[in-house]
Amino acid sequence: MAQSNALNWFLHRITGTFLIFMLITHFWVQHYDHQAASVTHEVVTEKGEMPDYPEEAKEGVRARLGPDADVTPYQVVMQRLADPVYAVLWKGFNILFLIVALHHGFYGLNNVMTDYIRDPMGRLVARALSWTVALGLLIIGMYSVITAGW
Amino acid sequence: MAVDTQDRPSAPAATADATAEQESRFQRYRIRTGMFAWMMHRLTGVGLVVYLIIHIWGLKSLSDPETFNALIAKYHSPIFKVGEFALLVAVAYHAMNGLRIVLIDLLGWSPKQKKLFWTLGGVTAVIILVGGWPSIYSLGEWLFGPGSMPTLFL
Repeated sequence: MAQSNALNWFLHRITGTFLIFMLITHFWVQHYDHQAASVTHEVVTEKGEMPDYPEEAKEGVRARLGPDADVTPYQVVMQRLADPVYAVLWKGFNILFLIVALHHGFYGLNNVMTDYIRDPMGRLVARALSWTVALGLLIIGMYSVITAGW
Repeated sequence: MAVDTQDRPSAPAATADATAEQESRFQRYRIRTGMFAWMMHRLTGVGLVVYLIIHIWGLKSLSDPETFNALIAKYHSPIFKVGEFALLVAVAYHAMNGLRIVLIDLLGWSPKQKKLFWTLGGVTAVIILVGGWPSIYSLGEWLFGPGSMPTLFL
């Protein structure tokens, strides 16, 4: 199994570098941008209570979904995922992000497992299992992204 | 990286063999700066894979507004705010140490690696403090009452 590892080793560094840039975008959009962030800097302690969003987010949601629209986390996210123009861009970004993150994470996990599992059969089982999980997550993730906002 | 070894490489000094065999795998390593960085990279890496699995699983709720809102509301509870901060620490460390590995491996920066280590250490600290401020802020507001935390760059 050592023969094709050079390409994967190289890819691991490339995906890692890509992930830095994608994570910066993801982090900015989810946590910092006042219109787009679906996570606010607010602690909600009451069960069922929703976080309060900044004016920018309320305006953004109402501009798209009508003046009476509720501003909940779902609607804030839908500004991007249900937008007629930008949805394709954001869905594309999310799918690319998903693929790159899964490859990077599960290749890394396989490196760690190869180091600690010494039995060849055990290694094979661990590899097969982990990549099955990764494939399952890829399908679940792609489904979530593609169907969001339909 | 993943290297196939059936046995440990034999120690250069044959006399050390007997004692080395009795020691555990961890004790054979000398923990210095680079070694510590490598161990933390593994630990945070495995942690992030676990997070990735939970994250993708949780986002299945995007197909149902009510479930999604309930989940995000839950992520605003104090314990998740602490987790959010811990996640940022793991991501920032793993990203910056990973960048260090890439610069050394692909651009041949190994002669500068000591300097690189501490520079990126500084960058990591800044990312954690600036990026983690929303989490710290929200926890402070909850602990010490509304208006008790400075708004800074929010």
